[in-house]
Amino acid sequence: MQPVNADISKLQKFRPAFTVALYNTKVDVVGNHLSGLLLIKKMPDSSLRMVFSNEMGFKFFDFEFSADGKFKVYSIVKQMNKRSVLKTLRKDFELILMDKLDSSTASTRINNGLLYHIFPQSKGYNYYITDSTGNELVRLERASKRKTVVEAIMQNYINGIPDTIGISHKTFDFTIGLKRIER
Amino acid sequence: MCRWINCYICRPMRKVLLIALTLVTSFSIKAQYPGYTAVTELTKFKTEFAAASQKTNSIKSDFVQEKNLSMLAEKITSKGKFWFKKESQVRMEYTQPYQYLMILNKDKVYVKDGQKENKVSTKSNKMFQQINNIMIDCMQGTTLNNPNFKTRVFENKNSSLVELVPVTKGLRELFKTITVVVDKKDYSVTSIEMLELSGDNTTIRFTNKELNANVPDALFIIK
Repeated sequence: MQPVNADISKLQKFRPAFTVALYNTKVDVVGNHLSGLLLIKKMPDSSLRMVFSNEMGFKFFDFEFSADGKFKVYSIVKQMNKRSVLKTLRKDFELILMDKLDSSTASTRINNGLLYHIFPQSKGYNYYITDSTGNELVRLERASKRKTVVEAIMQNYINGIPDTIGISHKTFDFTIGLKRIER
Repeated sequence: MCRWINCYICRPMRKVLLIALTLVTSFSIKAQYPGYTAVTELTKFKTEFAAASQKTNSIKSDFVQEKNLSMLAEKITSKGKFWFKKESQVRMEYTQPYQYLMILNKDKVYVKDGQKENKVSTKSNKMFQQINNIMIDCMQGTTLNNPNFKTRVFENKNSSLVELVPVTKGLRELFKTITVVVDKKDYSVTSIEMLELSGDNTTIRFTNKELNANVPDALFIIK
């Protein structure tokens, strides 16, 4: 990978402009399948709420990502209420939300015609990978110093909101698939 | 208020406050189910409910489910079709705005979301077991006999409202109350509302009900 100068502000257009969106959600985790609905809503105080429930209305979790980068758990079912689970979900969703794009520490590299926009995190890195023009978001990655931990996609933006979101873990069997529901 | 317990100004004030408080509390109990009054003759209600349910062997209906997320000021509405057949078979088919199928057959649950199928034994899944029990109890008119709940009954001109307050630990973590509204005419269930501790609730309303309609067994087969 070669360092290259690139306009990082171009990434802003891929940042999901959530107002309110409902997603059909499939979660597969080490052989278990879970389906449900994920509601994402921007609140009047600019925080973002995420509520995941099953199709019959049973709530699995209710998270808040506040504008200043804080994370709050309003509720979570006992089976999921583990530090590691919460940490993973928080980091995965933060990668998608693109709220922490600090350009002062960011850098860009080029590899095989793709631009890797790199944002150092408290541990590891978030990568936003675009084509060479910066007009197409190819994929997102969460990585440690040595290897890719998560690969994600955001596609088919309609009014700034991606229609399809996919999150796939590389170190263990865990995927989240979101498909927007027209209401 | 002053620190003298028997102060001649404060004593009557305390009384007024107490009366006001009592009024407010009793008012809020009444306002809980506007238009409904408490039924004291529970035995009569129980007998009639059970007798009417005895005559109902199957139900075919449409339903509208509304999930209210109170803190988010959001509603998720979905629609579908519902079938029930004695003794304990239920099929709920969500068609809008997503596809989801759930079949309860004795102690087995089958769910299908989009393409993926899942079979669950209710013995291993407490949530499904509870939903299963509540649904079946509602349809069979045995709701009031479920020892997991403390029940009260209210009524207005056309409907009876059964309030279920969970008493067992597992259920208390899931629901604050469950209210079941039944039509006085035939004791069929009009709506079920599940109120969570957070203030969120899920209401399922049944419309276009057909009692004792032809409901084939094939609808409940879990392959």
